[in-house]
Amino acid sequence: MPVVLVVGTAKGGFVCRSDDRLNWDIEGPFLKGWGVTAAARGPAGDWLVGTTSFVYGAAIHRSDDLREFAQAKQGPAYSEDSGVKLEQIWKIVTHGKRAYAGVAQAGLFVSDDNGDTWQPVNGLNQHPTRAGWMPGAGGLCCHAILFDPKNPLRMWVGISAVGVFRSDDGGKTWQPKNAGVKCILEDKDHKDIGFCVHGLVADPADANRIYRQDHSGMYRSSDGGDTWTRNETGLSSRFGFPIAIDPHTKALFVAPLESDEFRLPVNGQLQIFRSTDNGDSWHALFDGLPQKHAYGAVMRGALGVDGMDPCGVYFGTTAGEIFASHDRGESWHALPCRLPRVHSVTVLAE
Amino acid sequence: MARVAIQLPQLLGAMCGDRLRFDIDAATVADAFDRLRREHPQLALHLFDESGALRRHVLCFVNEVNSRWLDALDEPLVDGAELMFMQAVTGG
Repeated sequence: MPVVLVVGTAKGGFVCRSDDRLNWDIEGPFLKGWGVTAAARGPAGDWLVGTTSFVYGAAIHRSDDLREFAQAKQGPAYSEDSGVKLEQIWKIVTHGKRAYAGVAQAGLFVSDDNGDTWQPVNGLNQHPTRAGWMPGAGGLCCHAILFDPKNPLRMWVGISAVGVFRSDDGGKTWQPKNAGVKCILEDKDHKDIGFCVHGLVADPADANRIYRQDHSGMYRSSDGGDTWTRNETGLSSRFGFPIAIDPHTKALFVAPLESDEFRLPVNGQLQIFRSTDNGDSWHALFDGLPQKHAYGAVMRGALGVDGMDPCGVYFGTTAGEIFASHDRGESWHALPCRLPRVHSVTVLAE
Repeated sequence: MARVAIQLPQLLGAMCGDRLRFDIDAATVADAFDRLRREHPQLALHLFDESGALRRHVLCFVNEVNSRWLDALDEPLVDGAELMFMQAVTGG
């Protein structure tokens, strides 16, 4: 089955295609010159792609083929009186006939027309704790969106550096869900925010089981985020950004970095860690990855899996490298390219 | 009302049908900005911020004069006037 990687970089997007997950054709850049920060298949089957520019701001574009693009008629936007600015599209997720976009400055938007127009989810965007929301090093961003496949009213978002929020009423109201996680920056008034979630995935068969790569370490919840416990045994560092889960075997993949102060691969060794026991233990995977003088980091949107058997795993680095594994991370190879800084890797098995 | 040319940088041309130059009708600079917001909202998103002002790093030259140097944006425009937008980022 062919695999497509849509790679978002600081200077445009690239498409990597492979029939055997070993040999790759690379196209691009598309949306040349724009930062491409997120991509997803929309409800209508076409692509939704998020762009950003330091000068010209952020937008969402639609494309049938990742060659020709049309900007969304009415993209995510904050009102003039909100005092909030749209800076970046961090995450695009399709859920049934709806598409959601998590953005910076932190907020959630929803589209009911295949991504052509977007409306704010005000229950989150105007949350009572909003005055206390503080940005992390990557900005104040809503970068993770999860759904409960068995309960259409239940969903989660991750916001840096605020925490995880859950809605049990289809997005009307949201509750912070961070009990058990170390607070990074305590707020004077709201004690349930100030947490810096970096990555978030759920067990596709049990949405109550959520895994969280946090600024302060690796955590797991078995009750839909009500409580969290650490699970870091075997990791080279508790700090990192992305986390991915193989939907079939439930294997977890993370990319540790040396501390929040340095944010570099530990000892200059590029390694992915995998857990095959629900996070109880982690083991390094590095066959084929550079183990000396490797300092390109993996950002939170830049690690993905293809869901095939065996699972393919893919990631991009801040040094512009793309690495792929066709065997659950047991072995790796570099794609024949050196791209700009990689923001996002979206994986699709077609 | 004057016929005014809008000139765009390459990055934004791709946002509006690969057109880097097109004409609009406008009486003043402020009117031209307003028409861009109303008639070309997808382009205007990249030129103006949430307050309606030019984005911080976007420059607009009105017949080669920086619009920020004008006393007021209600300066009348004449046929053939040009509004050239460009990015204000220099160096590193």
